[in-house]
Amino acid sequence: MSHIHIEVENVSFSYGKDCKILDNISFLAQEKDSIGIIGANGVGKSTLLKILVGLNPGFTGSVRVEEIPLTKSTLARIREKIGYVFQDSDSQLFMTNVYQDVAFAPRNYGLPEEEVRHRVDAALEQVHITHLKDRPIYQLSGGEKKLVSIATILSMMPDIILMDEPSVALDPKNRRNLIHVLNEFEHLKIIASHDLDFIWDTCGRTLLMAEGRIVADGPTEEILKDGELLERYGLELPLSLQER
Amino acid sequence: MNKINSALHEMEHVSQMAEQNQWMNRIHPLVKFLLTLMYMIMVVSFDKYHLAGICSMAVYPLMIFLLGDISFGEALHRLRIVLPVVCIVGIFNPFFDREIVTYLGVPAFLGELLHLTPKDAGYVIGISGGVLSMLSLMVKGILTVLASYLLIVTTTIDKICYAMRMLHIPRAIVTQIMLIYRYVTVLLRETGRVIQAYELRSPGQKGIRIDAWGSLVGMLLLRSMDRADDVYASMCLRGFHGEFPAGAKIRMRGSDLVFLAVWAALFVLFRIFPVFQIVGQIFVSWG
Repeated sequence: MSHIHIEVENVSFSYGKDCKILDNISFLAQEKDSIGIIGANGVGKSTLLKILVGLNPGFTGSVRVEEIPLTKSTLARIREKIGYVFQDSDSQLFMTNVYQDVAFAPRNYGLPEEEVRHRVDAALEQVHITHLKDRPIYQLSGGEKKLVSIATILSMMPDIILMDEPSVALDPKNRRNLIHVLNEFEHLKIIASHDLDFIWDTCGRTLLMAEGRIVADGPTEEILKDGELLERYGLELPLSLQER
Repeated sequence: MNKINSALHEMEHVSQMAEQNQWMNRIHPLVKFLLTLMYMIMVVSFDKYHLAGICSMAVYPLMIFLLGDISFGEALHRLRIVLPVVCIVGIFNPFFDREIVTYLGVPAFLGELLHLTPKDAGYVIGISGGVLSMLSLMVKGILTVLASYLLIVTTTIDKICYAMRMLHIPRAIVTQIMLIYRYVTVLLRETGRVIQAYELRSPGQKGIRIDAWGSLVGMLLLRSMDRADDVYASMCLRGFHGEFPAGAKIRMRGSDLVFLAVWAALFVLFRIFPVFQIVGQIFVSWG
């Protein structure tokens, strides 16, 4: 098994007694994997991602990140390795300008200011938004906010990136730009989305979720071309594969 | 744009002003913070009847408005809600304190010029202690509010907190201030969204109906708490452990120290000596 990986074993999660969200989820994600988690609304995609970074405690089963078991005492170590991009960029960005926000994590990790500057520049460069460096957050468009959100986690230099609905509210140009940026990354990526075209363009492997369970796990091409399977679980073929 | 959105816009504009690369903005935050603190203490410490002394302290905000190229009109517009509140603090003083403590009149040379004698009605007006203390309170309030305004339009919240940390103000307090600042923005944004959604479905209606207030406020509280939770989660995921990172160290320059020393000396001078009174007396004696 490669050094960078996430191992999820028999994870279940529920709100109270009756509201089961995840039911016995297991999978292994390895270095350089690009995994798409798809499924209709409310199947537990976001909940699963949040569990992987310790935002939803109280789950049963086990999660191991690079051999470190996910517990309260290991949270800080695990969060250093995983970058999580929120669905809503307004939740992710809270400092006054782009530089301050991207520098937030490296500064928290106690890096010297020279290194912080270097990391911020590198992260902005990676997502091609160096020109936004000094821009106040509230002056950014939705697409720019999304790219800045990604830069805020790239400056942590994480081994793993988790993204929740990254293509939501993006116009076609920004969407294409984001696909390009994601495909350039060499990290282990897990992307939760019901934008199947986006998953088609960015992920090599897909997990299909329904009713809190993984009902299919395989190459993206195989799963997304299976119209019958998708329809059974409330989805449709990606637009790019549909006959017009 | 509804009032909430315009308040949010105002906040954003203020933080944008604080981020400018102006001369006043470049002064070390600790210097500005200390001067503001010292200024407020000095202004508040004046005797309630010492209106001339308090007025002499207006030199500081006036100079900063000029030096920092900050619009006085904009300041008054932004402080339009706070300033009247400050002004009505001592409004009842004239009713309680009616003893005449000073006289308002025209200078002797003007009286002679206008052929007035002290016997002429209106030549000398008695001012009661209540009126004087009311005016003192008003001016004190206005000056301290203006000084705080000048601090926040020339210094970002991060830098103000940096200065507070340099003064060894407990981390918990500084972090609370930062978080409250963030939460106010979150709350305003959510309020703006809720009110906008309400207005779009209430065409022709002015304001919000009273029977909708309960559910709107409840919804707002829940939504802003959710959003604040997300923001906090995002901070924790990026290594936040209860204290905002200090950021790059800001070097104190010689000019910052000179700025501090000169203004501190002027504050002490204005506080101890009735400068305006002395200047006035010189003026009168020349006359």
